[in-house]
Amino acid sequence: MNSSKKVLVIVPAYNEEGSIEAVIEGIRQHFSRGDILVVNDGSTDLTSEKAKRASAVVLDLPINLGIGGAVQAGYQYAYGKGYDIAVQVDGDGQHDPGEISKLIEVLEKGEADLAVGSRFVGAPMYRGSAMRRAGISILARAISIMTGQKVTDPTSGFRAANRKAIQVFAVTYPQDYPEPEVLVLLSRCGLKVKEVPAMVYQRESGESSITKIKAIYYMVKVLLAIFVTSFRSRPSAKRKGDQC
Amino acid sequence: MLIKIQLIIGALSIILLLFTFELIRKGRLREEYSILWLFTGIVTLIFSLSPEFFLSQFFTRITGLYYLSAVVLIIFLFLLLIVFHFSVVISKLTNQNKELAQRYAMLESEFGEHKKRCFLPDTPPSHEDVTSRNDH
Repeated sequence: MNSSKKVLVIVPAYNEEGSIEAVIEGIRQHFSRGDILVVNDGSTDLTSEKAKRASAVVLDLPINLGIGGAVQAGYQYAYGKGYDIAVQVDGDGQHDPGEISKLIEVLEKGEADLAVGSRFVGAPMYRGSAMRRAGISILARAISIMTGQKVTDPTSGFRAANRKAIQVFAVTYPQDYPEPEVLVLLSRCGLKVKEVPAMVYQRESGESSITKIKAIYYMVKVLLAIFVTSFRSRPSAKRKGDQC
Repeated sequence: MLIKIQLIIGALSIILLLFTFELIRKGRLREEYSILWLFTGIVTLIFSLSPEFFLSQFFTRITGLYYLSAVVLIIFLFLLLIVFHFSVVISKLTNQNKELAQRYAMLESEFGEHKKRCFLPDTPPSHEDVTSRNDH
């Protein structure tokens, strides 16, 4: 734990004024060695002000880009400021900051380039609706086949990336529902993903970006995206916008 | 009957061409997005001027369609092309918009840091700050 690696905790937040201070406080308490960056994704409430009052660095996006664009802005910041590790923690308080060090341990041991907190590895504590669990397991299976790595929780937004993965994300990051696609993208770039057991709490405030009506659209879009991603030509430095 | 349809199609395509041209002239339509519209107008105009050529020479022979249905088909295909083109353009714009927003946020945060460093009384300004302020 006493390594000198610079760690940035990225907290994407869209209208999370109810929970953002508690999240920042929690990260400070449980993971004091990291700098905290709140990416305010064009919130219309006091998210940005509250985060600044809690003395986090705040990146204010002028318009709402969605989770993908917001998280990518965080990775661009991490890349530009020379951070070695970037951790992604949702701004609604559903992730336990006490588990950040578990993710980072994996990266520091060099076991993977991206560590993902999974609800289904180890002792599963997650009780979502049957529909939701079925959806996640379909995606997990599809991604496991596409990437050849075992994935159980592709939708988890609790992640830690090393410098190599940060660099990839700063250039290319999927937009709409990015979490599952990212795993395929990384495997195309030859980077390794490892899951770590993690808890997910009930959302403290705000609502999940996936409502029931959107669930089917979500599945179709993500399946299409991971399918297309795995057929893209292997990334190279030929032109801007290439993957790695 | 054919003459009537010819006149209508001809008038419509001329209006389309004039309208497109006028929009370009006023700068309300960019050239790159007008090309497909101009092309549509020209093709339908030619079609209305000499339908016999199209009908007897190849179109009917290929498709077996009569004049009006042929016109509808052509226009439909062009609209399809244009809408598709727009989807591509919108995707590109969305991407550029995203990049702009991200750059903007980054610059704003850096600017804020810089401002703090320059104007907070308890932190002495660095050498760079002093020289840049002397320039003004």
